[in-house]
This record gives sequence, C-alpha cells and structure tokens, in this order.
Amino acid sequence: MRVDPSYVSNLVGSLDQAQGNEQQLTAELSSGVSISSLSQNPVASGENVLLLNQIQQDDSFTQSSNLVTGQLQVADSSLGSVVTELTSAISLATSANNGTMNASDVKSISNQISGILDEVQSLANTSYQGQFIFAGGQTSTTPFTTSSGTSPAVTTYSGDDDINYLATPNGQKIQLNVPGSQIFLGTGSNSVFGALNSLVADYSSGTVNTAQAVSDTQALGTAMNYVSQQRVTIDNSITQISTASEAVTSDETQLTSAQNNLMQADVAQVSTQLSLAETQQTALEDVIAQLNSSSNSLFSKLPA
Amino acid sequence: MGTISTAFSLISGALNADQAALSITANNVANANTPGYTQEIPKWQENDPLTINGVSYGNGVTETGAKSLRDSVLAERLDQQQQLASASSARLTALDGVQALFTPDSGSTSSKAGDIGGDITSFFSSFSQLEAQPTDNALRQGVLSSATTLAGDVSNAAASLNTQRSGLDQEAAGVTSQVNSLTSAISQLNVQIQSTSPNADAGTLEDQRDQDVSQLSQLIGINQITTENNGLSITTASGQLLVSEGSNYQLTTGAAGGVTDFFLGGSDITSQLAGGGGQLGGYLTARDEDIPNALASLDQLAYNISTNVNALNNSGTDLDGTTGSAANPLYIFNQPTTAAGSAANMSVIMTDPNQIAAAAAGQGTGDNSNAIAMANLQNESLVPPVATTSFSMIQNLSATTALGGTATGSITVYDSLGKSYDATVTYTNQGANTWNYSIAMPDTVTPDTSVANQMSYTFGAGETVDPGTNLTITGNAGGGLATITAPPVVAGEAVGAAGPPPTGYVAALDAAMTAKGITGVTVTSSGGVLTIAGATATAGSVIADPVASANATGILQFNAAGTLISPAANVSGLTFAGLSDGAATLNLQWGLYSASGTANISQTAAATLQSAESQNGTAGGSNDETPIDFYSNFVSTLGATVSGVQAENTAQNASVTQLQTQNNALSSVNLNDEASALSTLQTSYQAASQVFSMLNTIMAAALNLGDQTTVA
Repeated sequence: MRVDPSYVSNLVGSLDQAQGNEQQLTAELSSGVSISSLSQNPVASGENVLLLNQIQQDDSFTQSSNLVTGQLQVADSSLGSVVTELTSAISLATSANNGTMNASDVKSISNQISGILDEVQSLANTSYQGQFIFAGGQTSTTPFTTSSGTSPAVTTYSGDDDINYLATPNGQKIQLNVPGSQIFLGTGSNSVFGALNSLVADYSSGTVNTAQAVSDTQALGTAMNYVSQQRVTIDNSITQISTASEAVTSDETQLTSAQNNLMQADVAQVSTQLSLAETQQTALEDVIAQLNSSSNSLFSKLPA
Repeated sequence: MGTISTAFSLISGALNADQAALSITANNVANANTPGYTQEIPKWQENDPLTINGVSYGNGVTETGAKSLRDSVLAERLDQQQQLASASSARLTALDGVQALFTPDSGSTSSKAGDIGGDITSFFSSFSQLEAQPTDNALRQGVLSSATTLAGDVSNAAASLNTQRSGLDQEAAGVTSQVNSLTSAISQLNVQIQSTSPNADAGTLEDQRDQDVSQLSQLIGINQITTENNGLSITTASGQLLVSEGSNYQLTTGAAGGVTDFFLGGSDITSQLAGGGGQLGGYLTARDEDIPNALASLDQLAYNISTNVNALNNSGTDLDGTTGSAANPLYIFNQPTTAAGSAANMSVIMTDPNQIAAAAAGQGTGDNSNAIAMANLQNESLVPPVATTSFSMIQNLSATTALGGTATGSITVYDSLGKSYDATVTYTNQGANTWNYSIAMPDTVTPDTSVANQMSYTFGAGETVDPGTNLTITGNAGGGLATITAPPVVAGEAVGAAGPPPTGYVAALDAAMTAKGITGVTVTSSGGVLTIAGATATAGSVIADPVASANATGILQFNAAGTLISPAANVSGLTFAGLSDGAATLNLQWGLYSASGTANISQTAAATLQSAESQNGTAGGSNDETPIDFYSNFVSTLGATVSGVQAENTAQNASVTQLQTQNNALSSVNLNDEASALSTLQTSYQAASQVFSMLNTIMAAALNLGDQTTVA
C-alpha cells in the first residue's frame, strides 16, 4: 500500500500543535490563571462571574458596615450622655422636691435643669458627618427646637418617623436609626423634653408645687428609662452589624478560596504538562530532522 | 517468420516507449511539489502480435500516454470535508474575537478592566454603600462613577461587536469575486476538457479543474455533478447553479439592512449560503447568528438595567427633595425605547450626583429606602418570567336563550408570579346554534377594608393606578353624598412597592374631591399603600386591565344535536399583556375539548344554564434570572458555543487531514517510487539498447556476408 509522501507536513502540523500547547501552558504559569478565555471552561467562566459577584457584595457590605458602625456608635454615645444628664436632672429635682430649699435655691435648680435641657437638646440634635442622626429621614433639618413663649416651654420635632435600614447580602435588614420623636418625645410620660420643660417651669418661680414637681420628676424617670430602652435598639444594631460583618468576612474567605480554586493555575500540574509538551516537541523535531535527511531518499542510492 | 528488421522495429519501439515513460517520470519528479498535480504513470500497451503462416510473434510494446492516478470520489469527499472545516475555521476566528471581549475576570485588579460582570456588581454595590449614608456626596459620586464604567464597558463591547460584524461583512463580500473568478475558470476548463478528452482523464486540465474546485470548496459550500463528456456542474450546497458545464453564474452582492446580501440570478441566497459551508458560510454564520445573538443578550441586559434603574430613581426623592416627573425625569442612564441598540447606546446622562434618588417619594432626603430598592434590583428577575396556564370550563349553554341573551362562566387563572385573575367568559347567543364568546380578565387590587370607613390599596412592584378612570371615591358633601372619578395617572407616576404613590397623584385626588365639595376624606400614601380614609364607598378596578389578544373573542358553532363543531380544536395562543404585577404576558390555552376528544361546552335544551369549571394547568416561571445570573449564563453560553465550534473544527480538520493523506497516498508524487521507476526504466532502456546494438552487429554481419569492413 502506498503511503502519503508528504507525511512530514503532517508532522509539522503536530509540531505546531505542540508549540501552541506549550505557549498556552507557559501563559498559565506566568499569569497564574488557568482560564484565560471563556471557551477553555465555559461552565467555570459562568460560575466565576457568580462567585466574584458574591465576593464583591460581601466586600461592599463590609465597607458599608464600617460606615454605619461609626454613626451608630455616635448615636449610642449621645444617648448614654443623655441618660447621664437626665440622671443629674432627676437628682436635682429630687433635692428640690424635699422642701428644704429656699426660693433662690429652687430657682437655681430650675436654671440647672434648664441647662441640662439645653444639653439634652444639643445631644438630640447630634449630627454625624453633617447629618442629624435623630431626625428620621429629615437629616438635613435640625430636629429639635424649644420655644420658651409658653410655660412650660415646648420642644418641637421637625424630623419624621422614617427608619433607615442596611440590607446584608443575605437580605437581612438592620435598623440604622431611631427617630428622635420616638426617643425624646414619646407619648404620655415617655417624653423627655415634656418632663424637662415641666420641671424647669415647676421650679422657675422659686415656689414648688410639690405634688406636681414629684409627678414631673417621676415622669422624667420614666422618660429616662424609655430612652434607655430605645438605646437598646441602637446597641442591638451595633451587635447585629458586627455579627453580620464577621459572617460576611468568613463567607468572603470561603468564596475567595473557591474562586481561586476555580481560576488559579495548578502550578505543579501545569509544570508537568509543560515538561511533557517540551519532550513531545523535541521528539517531533528529531523525527522531522531524520526524515528530511537526504539519505532517506531512494534517489541518494542511484548512481550519479 | 520474424526477421531482423522486425526485431529492429520491435526494439526501437521499446526504446521509444522507455523514453516516453522516462519523460513521464521526469515530469512527475519535476512536479513533485506542484500544488494540485496528480501523479502520472505511463500506460504500456502490448502491440498486437504478428501472425505469419499461422504462427504468432510478439510485436513489442507501445507507450500510449500518461494516466493520472486520480480517485474522483475521494477528491469530492475531501472537498466536502474541506467546506465544513473552512466554515468552522472562519466561524471560530470570528468567535475568538467575540470571546476576547469577555475575558474572564481572574479576580486580580488588572483583570477587572472591562469585565461587565464585575461592573454590574460594582454598580449595584454602590447603591448598597449609599444605603449606609444616603446623603454622602462621595458615595453618590461612586454610584455615577460605577454607572459610567458599566455603561462604558457595555457600549464598548457592543461597539466592538458591531465593528467585528462589519469586518466579517467585508470579508464575506470579498469572497464573492474569488468565487466568481473560480467558477468562470472551471467553466472554461469544462469546455477544454469536453473538447480534448471527452471520454478519458484529461490529465493536467483535470488537475487544474480539481484544484479550482478544491479552492472553491474552501470558499463556499458546493455540490459537484459529473456530466457527460467529462463535464462538471457545480451548485451551491443548497442547490443553486453556479457552473453548468461551459456556463457559469455570477454571485452578486447588494446592501440590505446595513449588511451585504448575496444574490444568484436575482434571488437572495444569503441565508442558504450561511448554512452551506466554506469560508463564506462561516463568515455569514458569525455575522448573522453568533454576533447578533451576543448583541441581543447585551441589549437585553442593558435595556433592563437601564429601564429598571431609571424607573426606580425616577420614582424616588433626590437630595434636593425632587421627585422625577414626565417632564423632568430623574434618569441615571440614557432611557432606551426598545431593547435593540440599548447596549450600544448605553450611557450615563445624569451629571449631578444629587439627583440620585436614595430616598423614597415623599420621604426626607436622609431616607435610604429607594437606595435599598435599587441595590435590591440585582436580586430581582431581569426579565419577567413567562408561563402558560391551561384551563377548561364545562358549560351547558341553553338553546332556549333569547337572541342576544348571554351566559357567563368564570375561572381563576394564575400568572407566572402567582397572582390570580378571575377570567370571565361571556357567551352571547347569535341564533342558529351560534354563540359569540368573549374572555375578559380584570386586573384589580382588592382594598383592605378592615378599618371602618377606610380603603387601603397595597400596590405590588410594577403595579400602578389604571390610567383609565375606574377608581371612584364617594364621600360626604354638604350633608349629602358625592362621588368623584379618580383622575388618570400621569405617565411616570408609578405606584409601586418601591415607594408611595407620587404626591402629585394624591394632590390630584384631593383637588377632585374639593371640586365636588367632598369633605372629611383624607388620602395618604406611604410605602406603596394608598389609603383613602373617611370615604363611605369606593368602587372600580384600581389598576389597568391586561390587554387581550385577538382570539379572546370568537364564535362557537354547535350542530343540531348541540355538539360543539367549531372551533374544532382547543383555543391556543390566547394572551393577556400588561399584567400589573410585572409578570410577562400571560399565555392561556382554553381546553374546549377533553383529552378523550369530548367537547367541554355543549348546547342543550335545558331551560337553565349549568356550568362547572376546572383548571387543569398551573403556571410556572421559566425565566427568573437576575442581572448577574443573566450575564453568567451569557458568558457560559458564549464559551460553550466557542468551545463547541473549536471541537467541531478540530474534528473536521482531523478528518480533512485523514482524507488528504488518503488522497496524497494515491495522487501525490512519491520520489522513492519515481527513483525506483527511473532505475527500472534505465535498466529497461539499457537492455533495449544492448539488444539494438547486437541486432545492429548481426545485421552488419548479414549485410557484409562475413566481411567485417564494409558495413560496421
């Protein structure tokens, strides 16, 4: 049977293929990436898109949680200060209510409680990065103002009841704020400003209506407890964000590992393949050289 | 008996034959590397014997010419395989260019450039970060910046695809002249072959023709038909005549739809050529199938991201407290009108980061609920799911119904998002055993009336108030009752879960009630809930009804026995578009006949209408891909297509190599064979020369009668 006389060209084709293979393996080694085009592994390419998406979402949440944690800590600290101020106010009111103070002292108490009121209002108007944190959604409006035109004075709220949330990558929503009206202007005896304004009015004349003052002092105590309860919401959010961040970081680590396994070249395996491809190339070159030798032609045997 | 002269004649013939054979061998060696050359062998023919006095004597040999070693079946098989291999090679080259635009992101910073998947995630993540501080200018800039990157990468990819498509178009058009020149040459060779060698192999001419056919096969898919007198006709793979013996038909081109179309004899054969094979087939498949498919996917992605993000941003409140309107929409992206071209035209038109509506409509600028909704778009279906619901109703229509009298039946059907609709079929008697039917499907929001004198409508995603005026409010007006018909919703005033109805709509309701003197009714909206308090009654559908397809109305024809005879089959292709919950068009199949073929609807003489109904099908979502799922599937599908074509091309090339090897084994010049032939012929010629020389000596001896000197 006759053979293809141009078999060398087929061998050259194989040599080209071997060199192409080497080029690919070398590229994998130098870049460290096993998949450089979609067709190399279509399924892994699609999976890679999804993994990177999840990793990036996790990363984004970590950044967001850092941003909101600062705001929540400021809110928590402000409410802590409010509780301290209110404790002082209750202490002052209790001393004024015991009937041992003269008018001047009582007026002084009134002034001190008024000062505490200003301080509490200032804390209720706390801003973080230029935004009022106890104003609901109206973060650019000073939420609390007190009008002294009446006695007792009236503190009004210019914010709203809006609550913001931060969504975690798995869809959980973490509360980011408590509207100021809910903390400082609760209904009934839960109103901090209502109780403080009443106490200021109670002592302003120097004469104490003890029953009223005791009632208002009790109301301030109730309001202070209510503030502490609201503060728990903020504390819970800080804890939730911390927990969620840890979970997300752990998730991100696992996802990154999975993504690396999917896309990164296995150096040992690629090196072995490269070595095999080089051996193949050398063998092919030797065969071609041998076959191309002029002594392989029958013409070389013919007499000149 | 033979004579010396005869021997002379015989051996000189042998010398001639050997010379001719040596010439053929020399020609083989000379053409050893000539493309398309087919090895020739000498044709030896034993001369007829001489019979003298009843005794036969051999009369030597004649060389009657060269014979090409050709297997036309194998050559044709090789050409056919070559067509497939050329097509897949051309397509693969084009697809390699396409997939290079979507190189996988390895996760390293440098590989992220141009990665649309990463851009999509970054864009939606920028809204997630805006949730943390919705008024922060840097985060708002971040949203616009990631939107610009996404739009830039999508539009660049689309532009590159369009450029590649134009390039392929030019390549394809360029093939035409080569095809025409080859078909012209083949027809001329046909004429020469038919005139010089009608009954035998035409040698060199056939080599040239085979070579031209082989080249043609690489360019275009063809069929070959051998005709009488060694002629050849060639058609395209789909049967259009290119060469008919001495005639050829030129392929022409013309512009159509921005690309080049191909014509033969006035007929547009572009689509046939695309599937035919050859380079042209490969170019056209990539130009008309692969690249348009990739572009369509990008368009769908760009269209849905742009429209959904724009709609949500437009329905929220920006940092300046503004809500978008039809006149002044708050669009982040260039708003596409159709999906086609959306990718190429995707761009960010918003320049002021304050216009990002992180807050819901009616909320303070510090609210972040619209930012959450926009971030959450990445988890929502990019394209609404599609479903088909089958239903059947068992109806007995009374034959005694007056002309124009009606009967109704109703059934609950579900769309792919699971929302139920009460479809009502109204049958109207037309006489003569004929009934008209009409299917209606009201799309409503049922009000919550749990609070006295209060109606609350909760709108789902994508739901809006009917632009028609079918919501009425009745309230006290000066001691009596008055009713208003709610004003239509202005385009762009979406009422959806993402936010409350626009204040403009609430204000319009208030104005309408004030005009009628209605007092004590308050309208509020929050979080997608429209509440009308103090009203004594409301009525009407609140949201727009879906639009029915033409076959939602039709005619039922019964025979005298009351059996349904027309339509003879179930009603399919029945659709309702514009579902308020955002599901895709609801497809219905109305089963007029049971599985056994019995009609579900009949006409009876009974005086009363009876009806029973059943639903035998359920809806199911078939497409709930989020944007990133969509992109992931897009790259997987593209990768699988390229990989498939690669495998196909490798297999076809291997097959071509195998066939080429077989063909070469037969038809190529093997120098070893030629060396061997040369050696044999040399010996043969030498022997004949020796014989001639000896005969010459014998002849001289005979002529000189033994005198050696007269004739040497």
